[in-house]
Amino acid sequence: MTQRISKYKRFMMMNPIVQFFKFIYLSIKVLIVVAGGHGGTRNV
Amino acid sequence: MAKIVVLGAGVSGHVAASHLRRKLSKEHEVVVVSPNGNYQWIPSNIWVGTGRMKPRDILFPLAPLYAKKHIDYKQAKAVSFHPEGDKEEAKPYVLSEYVVGDDKGKREKVTYDYLINATGPKLNFEATEGLFPGKNKTHSVCTYTHAQEAWIELEGLIKEMKQGKKIKILIGTGHAKSTCQGAAFEYILNVEQELRRHKVRDMAEITWISNEYRLGDFGMDGMLMSYGSNIMKSNEMVEMIFEDRGISWILGAAVNKIKDGKAHYETLDGEYKEESYDFAMLIPSFSGHGFKAYDKIGKDITDKLFKGFMIVDADYTPKPYDQWSVQDWPETYQNPSYANIFAPGIAFAPPHSISKPRKSKNGTDITPAPPRTGMPSGITAKLVADNIIEMIKHSNSELHHKGSMGNMGAACIASAGYGMTKGSGVSITTYPIVPDYKKYPDTQGRKLGKTFGTIGLAGHWLKLALHYAFIYKAKMKPFWWLIPE
Ligand SMILES: Cc1cc2nc3c(=O)[nH]c(=O)nc-3n(C[C@H](O)[C@H](O)[C@H](O)COP(=O)(O)OP(=O)(O)OC[C@H]3O[C@@H](n4cnc5c(N)ncnc54)[C@H](O)[C@@H]3O)c2cc1C
Repeated sequence: MTQRISKYKRFMMMNPIVQFFKFIYLSIKVLIVVAGGHGGTRNV
Repeated sequence: MAKIVVLGAGVSGHVAASHLRRKLSKEHEVVVVSPNGNYQWIPSNIWVGTGRMKPRDILFPLAPLYAKKHIDYKQAKAVSFHPEGDKEEAKPYVLSEYVVGDDKGKREKVTYDYLINATGPKLNFEATEGLFPGKNKTHSVCTYTHAQEAWIELEGLIKEMKQGKKIKILIGTGHAKSTCQGAAFEYILNVEQELRRHKVRDMAEITWISNEYRLGDFGMDGMLMSYGSNIMKSNEMVEMIFEDRGISWILGAAVNKIKDGKAHYETLDGEYKEESYDFAMLIPSFSGHGFKAYDKIGKDITDKLFKGFMIVDADYTPKPYDQWSVQDWPETYQNPSYANIFAPGIAFAPPHSISKPRKSKNGTDITPAPPRTGMPSGITAKLVADNIIEMIKHSNSELHHKGSMGNMGAACIASAGYGMTKGSGVSITTYPIVPDYKKYPDTQGRKLGKTFGTIGLAGHWLKLALHYAFIYKAKMKPFWWLIPE
């Protein structure tokens, strides 16, 4: 095992308060990517 | 009055059937033909395979829902396609065979005006000698029964580890052309986390084996993505996670035989090697179901409908990698020979892989097949349903709803471990799914920002929220259609 994620980063990744806001941000971001529409590629 | 027959009630078949039913008046018939009486939310199989969920948490029976929603359901499997009917039957039909009850084995000509083939993949375990779930210490998480068996075996091994036994775990792909690396990626991280939770992590050697050329290829040629304020390659991100979790890896591996707890594989260098294990979960290759098709006089016309999977509006002309383009990918999923047949989700034949094709020194093709995850499966099913609705309502032959995987985003929220406070997820979104190297030449074919990755507890919460949201949606509860595919 090689520690590749610093202690600070890991704390941020697992801190429920930080992650609560991340959850909201992620949900919106995912929605934008997904609901952002789709279409063809041939007649654009 | 039109009759629409949907083959398959997985992600794409169920999405198509539910949208058709919601948007079409009752004078039109919606018929679903599918052998499995349950709807299963496949992404959560990962948690069944680590004992954190039971199969009942991820499935529900289809018959009562369909009866309530006026969808005609036949628990049967499609056997052959007759798009021109036959000498006795003027209408096109699919020959179907019932799989349960008194009618088991009985065959019926299920006629249609429009046909949606959403039969997904055949899990082609036979393509790898000795690879079969529950045999030779190998397992699968591709269905809930497979996943449950995997957990029973793993749980037994955890008990042995607690008594001091050291074991080797091998997770990844079980064929030179397997796809769905993402599912195996989730499983390896969840297994690793479970071993830590049971305090036996130091008793296990965990290895990733895959047909990918680089880590993080995922059958999508890898990704360049925004990661916080940095730009990172997906192989760098996966390498960081694997090293941090103490997982070693074997890449460019074409597993060709499984015997006595050993996976035999060929490498891109042309070497033949083997890896021993006590527990393996290897994703098989996916193939078409081997359906046959016949014309009115009974002549075999399978090659008009199938190329392994179903032929749709893709450009299947064989061409070298440097001439591939996003325009090769289908937009409407309509069969070019029969305008009333469509194939969304995994059922359509892709024009080629997304990852750069590679051969071993012995000439073996070792290239991940293109994945079609839940989101594009749902989106393509919905647009097929919308086109059929327009064709019915406006006698319209022009298809307005289009969705190429080269102009569509996808989110892959990969579980990296279960738990409300200890869980984790690797959240990745990509836009577009199939890289458009002309439009985004400097960012490996994708739009940065819309292609991003992040790791952490929020990813687990999101994956769990999606589990509940999509099961709610699949159950067609109030306002289900507001939840996007
Ligand atoms: C372990 C695992 C984890 C995954 N995790 C994710 C994830 O986290 N996120 C994500 O987006 N995607 C994920 N996927 C991929 C996702 O499950 C697929 O993209 C999706 O299921 C494809 O939908 P489909 O309807 O095309 O095929 P399927 O869901 O496979 O449905 C096919 C349907 O056809 C039926 N059928 C089969 N044969 C016949 C026949 N002869 N006649 C009639 N019907 C038939 C089957 O019973 C089934 O109902 C995962 C896949 C696996 C295996």
